Amino acid sequence: MAVKKKWPAVLLTAALSVGLLAGCGESGGGNAGPSGSGSAEAGSGASDDLKPITFTFYSEDPNPNWTNMQDEIGKVITEETGVTLNAEFAVGDPVQKSALIASSGKYPDIISAKNSINKFVDAGAVIDLTELIDQHAPNIKKLFGDQMNRLRYSNDDPSIYVIPTYDGVGNTIFEAGGGFSLQHRVVKELGYPKIRTVQDFENAIKQYLAKHPTDENGNKNIGVSLNADDWHMYISVTNPAFFATGAPDDGEYYIDMNTYEATYHYLRPEEKEYFRWLNHMNAEGLLDPDSFVQKYDQYKAKIASGRVLGLIDQLWDYADGEKALKAEGKFEYTYGHYPVTLNENYKDTSFWPTGFLAGYGIAISKTNPDPVRTIKFLDYLASDEGQVLLNWGIKDKHYTVDANGKRSMIKEVNDRRVNDATNFQKETGIGNYNTIGPHYGDGVKDPSGNYYTLRFPEQLVEGYSDVEKEVLKAYGATTWKDLFPKESEFEVKPWGAAWNIPVPSDNELTVLDEKLKTITWKMIPKAVLAKPEEFDRVWDDYLQQLEKAGVHKAEELRTQLVKDRVKLWSE
Amino acid sequence: MRGGTPLATQTWRKSVSLADRLLDLFITVILAAVAIVTIYPFLNVLALSLNDSTDSVRGGITIIPREFTLENYKLIFSFGGLVTGFKISVLRTVVGTLLGLISSSMLAYALARPDFQGRRFVSVYLAITMYVSAGLIPVYLLIKDLHLMGTFAVYILPGLVSAFNVFVIRSFIDGLPYALQESAKIDGANDFTIYWRIVLPMTTPALATIALFIAVGQWNSWFDTYLYNATSPHLTTLQYELTKVLQSTTAGNGGDYRTTNMTQVLSTVSPESVKMAITMVVTVPILLVYPFLQRYFVKGMTLGAVKG
Amino acid sequence: MKAMSSAAVPSGGMPPEGRAPKFWKTAYRNRYLYLMTLPFVAWVFVFSYYPLWGWLMAFQSFKPGKPLFEQKWVGFDQFKTLFQDDLFYQVLRNTLAMSVMGLTAAFTVPIVFALLLNEVRNMFFKRFVQTVSYLPHFVSWAVAASIVTRMLAADNGVVNDILTGLGLIDKPIQFMANGHFFWGIVTLSDVWKETGWNAIIYLAAMTGISGELYEAAKVDGASRLRQIWHITLPGIRSTIIVLMILSIGHLVSIGFEKQFLLGNNLVLDYSQVLDLYSLQYGLQMNRYSFGVAVNIFNSVVSLILLFVANGLFKRMTKESIM
Repeated sequence: MAVKKKWPAVLLTAALSVGLLAGCGESGGGNAGPSGSGSAEAGSGASDDLKPITFTFYSEDPNPNWTNMQDEIGKVITEETGVTLNAEFAVGDPVQKSALIASSGKYPDIISAKNSINKFVDAGAVIDLTELIDQHAPNIKKLFGDQMNRLRYSNDDPSIYVIPTYDGVGNTIFEAGGGFSLQHRVVKELGYPKIRTVQDFENAIKQYLAKHPTDENGNKNIGVSLNADDWHMYISVTNPAFFATGAPDDGEYYIDMNTYEATYHYLRPEEKEYFRWLNHMNAEGLLDPDSFVQKYDQYKAKIASGRVLGLIDQLWDYADGEKALKAEGKFEYTYGHYPVTLNENYKDTSFWPTGFLAGYGIAISKTNPDPVRTIKFLDYLASDEGQVLLNWGIKDKHYTVDANGKRSMIKEVNDRRVNDATNFQKETGIGNYNTIGPHYGDGVKDPSGNYYTLRFPEQLVEGYSDVEKEVLKAYGATTWKDLFPKESEFEVKPWGAAWNIPVPSDNELTVLDEKLKTITWKMIPKAVLAKPEEFDRVWDDYLQQLEKAGVHKAEELRTQLVKDRVKLWSE
Repeated sequence: MRGGTPLATQTWRKSVSLADRLLDLFITVILAAVAIVTIYPFLNVLALSLNDSTDSVRGGITIIPREFTLENYKLIFSFGGLVTGFKISVLRTVVGTLLGLISSSMLAYALARPDFQGRRFVSVYLAITMYVSAGLIPVYLLIKDLHLMGTFAVYILPGLVSAFNVFVIRSFIDGLPYALQESAKIDGANDFTIYWRIVLPMTTPALATIALFIAVGQWNSWFDTYLYNATSPHLTTLQYELTKVLQSTTAGNGGDYRTTNMTQVLSTVSPESVKMAITMVVTVPILLVYPFLQRYFVKGMTLGAVKG
Repeated sequence: MKAMSSAAVPSGGMPPEGRAPKFWKTAYRNRYLYLMTLPFVAWVFVFSYYPLWGWLMAFQSFKPGKPLFEQKWVGFDQFKTLFQDDLFYQVLRNTLAMSVMGLTAAFTVPIVFALLLNEVRNMFFKRFVQTVSYLPHFVSWAVAASIVTRMLAADNGVVNDILTGLGLIDKPIQFMANGHFFWGIVTLSDVWKETGWNAIIYLAAMTGISGELYEAAKVDGASRLRQIWHITLPGIRSTIIVLMILSIGHLVSIGFEKQFLLGNNLVLDYSQVLDLYSLQYGLQMNRYSFGVAVNIFNSVVSLILLFVANGLFKRMTKESIM
């Protein structure tokens, strides 16, 4: 009996010990690499450091194509700099994880926290990079040039904590993916009418619907369908309100160019008229009644069925739907982009220039064993050589340079890049490193006269379908962007973009913004779906709720932030 | 009741059996309806997972794929780490279930004993833990301080004792005749032996149920991997890897849509199809395991024990 | 004399009780039982009780990075903010409404389902139905919500098509757009998704009922319905009671995934629940202290509900969990 009673207990203890021992045996993955030199002295460039070193890297963006730098260009990077990255990318909601890391005192060596950077700054977890950049990073200095003061954190703390890696310096957007979208078959049948105002847009749809109320299966055609599932609300329902009424994208606020005063953009009288127009569309039966109820996949399915004549959305937001149409060869059912505004007085503001936005990027933590090596690594990525490597790949493997010095991707390689994107990225590594270091934007040319990146205007046109080219020709354009007001027609905003200005963590603004958003997301759909004679009443109710929730306080706080930013960037 | 049955009883039995048969019919119809309604989403997911993703966007797929393809699955399996993830998930499921069963049943047994002095205290003590949580930050710091970060043990140890499981098993034990334990005591067995040799074998339905709950919980968990083991690829779990795969096809992440890495959009497979394939990959193993557990839901394990 | 009423012992007798004052004597007699429980008690202390020091954060204006005692103390400010927020009361109302509805559904449908299933003679059919019934549990809420939304859509939705076809309505009903339907939709979706899974416990409990009781009843001529009412149901009574007490404790913390996925902007007033509120206004805004305050509120209310439920059941049915 004594033996018997001991046996299960022994088993249990053994099992538990195994578990614990297994636990104790592992070292935490958070510590930096082995051969890192102790504290790096700024300026001591004595030893030529190509010694292998591993840094831990944490990013709030997901990247499941990460291969631990075992892809083709990753290996080259390690060769050239000796650096390997042990990277962790976000899965699910990164904000929680960032909060935990910031509070734990155990920081990764390199941190790419987007909006959460203020948590790390508050915790004193990241170091000031000003000196490091000045002394060890000539390429980074060249890259940012006179934009360097945009990297500073705040007026109270002008240190540079973050090297921006999301926005590219000198970036130009070549394509218009926004505006109002209209199916090609609509404009074709109506003889390519001018699509300039919401009235034009409405008329085109109305006329076409009258002639073709259903598709070939008897299902009803839909005039316009909106994408209102959660955050898509911003893109398809609320942002167009300012794009179409002459205000640039500054997030939820309109900033006055001269006084820098912020106004919650829905309070602008022009926007009330925009939503009145949407209400009118609904009353006329031209708006999809399911707009505010459908989920994102239902929205895309509708588009894929070809029944939706018009959209007010960004291309990347409905690309899946359009892809399905293209796969079936239904190019007439795909969409063109038109710079529609409320009336002729307003210009579409999709391309209002902001200047270099700085913003999110890379920080070096205070527990990094070798900040100098790190900066040099980042510097390499920012060099001309590094930039070409990251974007184009390896010479003669991915691209060739012809007798005139022109660089072009090898055709098979490029085809793979487009058609087998995931595997391509995993194998070659092209696309895996773009946000690990600062970079030039699209449209910037390197000293050899070639573009740094793979996105340039010539490529765009090649991608158009025949129908698309036909429509563009009829409107006298080669790309959709030609139809839109250009950057040069607007004044550069000295504050960049208001949505990009970080809000300090204990600022009341965050709570206010959330409350205002909830009210807006509730009342805008209500206003649009109301009976036309009710619209004013609902709108007044909406404004009242906003006042009660403190919209003017929010505006004040936001104004202060914008003013601080202008000050910070203009010195 | 042997021998001839009186006529009255016979007639009554016949009407009883008519009522019984109606009941049977009624039950069958209802259950069949339930079966249809509940199998539909699963078949729908299966069909979508086997359907070409661009075609799926068009909607309208019910239980048969329209354009059959294995692309969605190929995409999932093209990501390394799945094999390791699978192994670790299986390991943690087995270890976690075994240890969890032992801990829950031992506690349940002790708490079921009316003569256990600490019974009230421990019950309350455990019950409270079900409704009280300290929040992410203190637990994270604790795990860090215990050096459980980047270990396998972090999958097993923190969740080892579950009050819910204890109470469920206890309620089963309460349904067993105490006389059995008494007679064993008279025979000189100590409390542990009674637990191990008498009570435990009689609670197999409860144990099977709890085993199922624990196993499913272990199999599906990825958040702990994310929090504690994200930089230890050799300890990754299946669900974690699959969640990462799902990320690869999603364009834009919430309010941050302006800065999401647009290279994500290059993917050729739409997120919804990948979600479906992932659901299948995760669910099928569990479905294979359950029939084995069904054996234990057998009637009458207690029959005969009290006699004699 | 001593409080022996907790947890029923339906069959068999009670063991003789030791005299109350002899604490250590009883403790010694119970030594194996203590050995079997104390290690786990310690375990639970480490992982569940010790981290509760974090609750102190609710009385601070916590910023991650600095150790706990260097943070700024604000007393009850976080709680004041919480209780002065109108939104808080709205989400509380939504949460309670859906919990109560959910609770009612969860303690009727799965039990009835289990009872029905238990009566099936054909083993194959029984197993098949049971296996199939819990499949929706494994389908994620994202997928399930998508299915429900599609079925209730006004444009080609199955439900509207059927209703129109039967002539019961002439225009499709926008189910998902109407806040008043929302709670019902959530409850029904949950029933559909979780009934099979929830029934597993009851089915397992039913196997524990002695077959002799059924034999005896049949001999007495009881109909099947009678048997169900007088044998099966009472047989699983303890299980039902335990689960019910535990569920009542969870009334305020029901997660938010399904409400979020099934909801949309038109029904925001009805779909926001406490756990979502806590996440949005707490962690996501870096207001950790606020999040902890909501957490404490949750826990306190849950415990109150738990003890009240436990006490009520103890009085009414002589069965409870503590």
